[in-house]
Amino acid sequence: MNNLLSGCRVLVVEDEMMVLMNIEAALGDLGCAAIFAAPTVDRALALVEAKRFDVAILDVNLGASDQTSYRVADALALRSIPFVFSTGYSDKSIDARFLDRPVLQKPYLDEELGAALAGLLPAFALTPPSA
Amino acid sequence: MPDASNTPADQQAAEAEIDEFRDRLGPFVTATEKTRMAMLFTNAEETENPIVFANDAFLELTGFGREEVLGVCFKALMARGTGSAEVAEIEAAFAGRAEREPEVCYRRKDGSNFWASLHINPVCDEAGEVQQHFISIVDQTKQREKQTHCEMLIDELNHRVKNTLATVQSITRQALRATADPKVIRESIESRIFALARSHDLLTHQNWEGASLHDLIAASLKPFGVANGRAERFRIEGIDIHLLPKATLALGIAFYELATNAMKYGAFANDAGTITISWAIQAGSAGERLILTWREQDGPVVAAPTHKGFGSQVIERGLAHELQGNVQLEYLPEGILCTIDVPVPGKAGDE
Repeated sequence: MNNLLSGCRVLVVEDEMMVLMNIEAALGDLGCAAIFAAPTVDRALALVEAKRFDVAILDVNLGASDQTSYRVADALALRSIPFVFSTGYSDKSIDARFLDRPVLQKPYLDEELGAALAGLLPAFALTPPSA
Repeated sequence: MPDASNTPADQQAAEAEIDEFRDRLGPFVTATEKTRMAMLFTNAEETENPIVFANDAFLELTGFGREEVLGVCFKALMARGTGSAEVAEIEAAFAGRAEREPEVCYRRKDGSNFWASLHINPVCDEAGEVQQHFISIVDQTKQREKQTHCEMLIDELNHRVKNTLATVQSITRQALRATADPKVIRESIESRIFALARSHDLLTHQNWEGASLHDLIAASLKPFGVANGRAERFRIEGIDIHLLPKATLALGIAFYELATNAMKYGAFANDAGTITISWAIQAGSAGERLILTWREQDGPVVAAPTHKGFGSQVIERGLAHELQGNVQLEYLPEGILCTIDVPVPGKAGDE
């Protein structure tokens, strides 16, 4: 795997542990420097307050309590931190105010994840991956 | 909804027409009046198709009195709560050029809505001229509700399937990372998929509303106990509690990983070891907590591993993350001790 996201700091909002572990492994392979994971909106919002990220991955539906990660998306947008949604539902189910945001359909390839995140980072997208 | 044009003269004329009907067609009129299907006749010889007959079922369905609908233009009656596209469909049906039966959301007199399909048929005289229209109205509310429920279930199923596939993707990646031996890789992937399938079975039996902790432990450990005559070496101590589906799946994976480790290196790697799973609910400052311990004893002497495998990562990181608590895995000399301390995962909103 190349180092497409070398040095990148990523917030991962995902409630399912096995899915999270796969994302973490993929991000590690892509060269990410730091990964912060949150299973709920409240934990994610606390991380957004406390930490610095370059980019975020937001699972749309969190847990059994019908939570969605839209509030996290709003908080990130306010800070101009780019993000990509991931979902097991159809991408048409995502709230209309986020129509212009990229969506990954579960399951997805490491390459799709890397490309989606790199595409949100101008500096990374313009620099060829280091050997 | 009385129409302004509904003068006593119109009404009298309409009623006279029904009397004439009844005289001519006797039992048919009575049947039409009393059937449970809502029915109307409209006069095609006047503009705007005024209603000349409404049966009891129609009045019951809509909440109107007979005097409120007789003489009223059909389209005006239907326009309550109906969009312009549907009204156009109704007009097309009257003109005999409808492509399908109009389906409308109709508002009752009391303001409540129902979905109805309209069957509009011309009634012609001997010369083939349309005299009246016969309209039957089928309440489609139940059908619509079923359809909405069905769409929701399909959506939900799709979501679960996609998450399960993502889980299998994760299982595969970890198996390929651990070793290059094809036999070990296959065994590692298959056994975890089967563990997942057992938890799914358990949830399916309960309509995906969750599972009891006792049932989950029994299902998760069945392949390790019953198949190998070790059932008596498990001790399970705790009052049964209900788990939500997500917690059921997460704990199911954790029990599988713990039991697999016990088979390879722990209490089930010899003939004497035992495993005690015990739990209690404790009140905490932020609500009730489930404190569950998995304690192995009398197995081979345990040494802490030099490298943390997938199983221990799932238990310590994954489970703690998903259930939002603390999970500790201790390699005590007498056996592994795993302590799971999480908010009680049985109420919506806890997860």
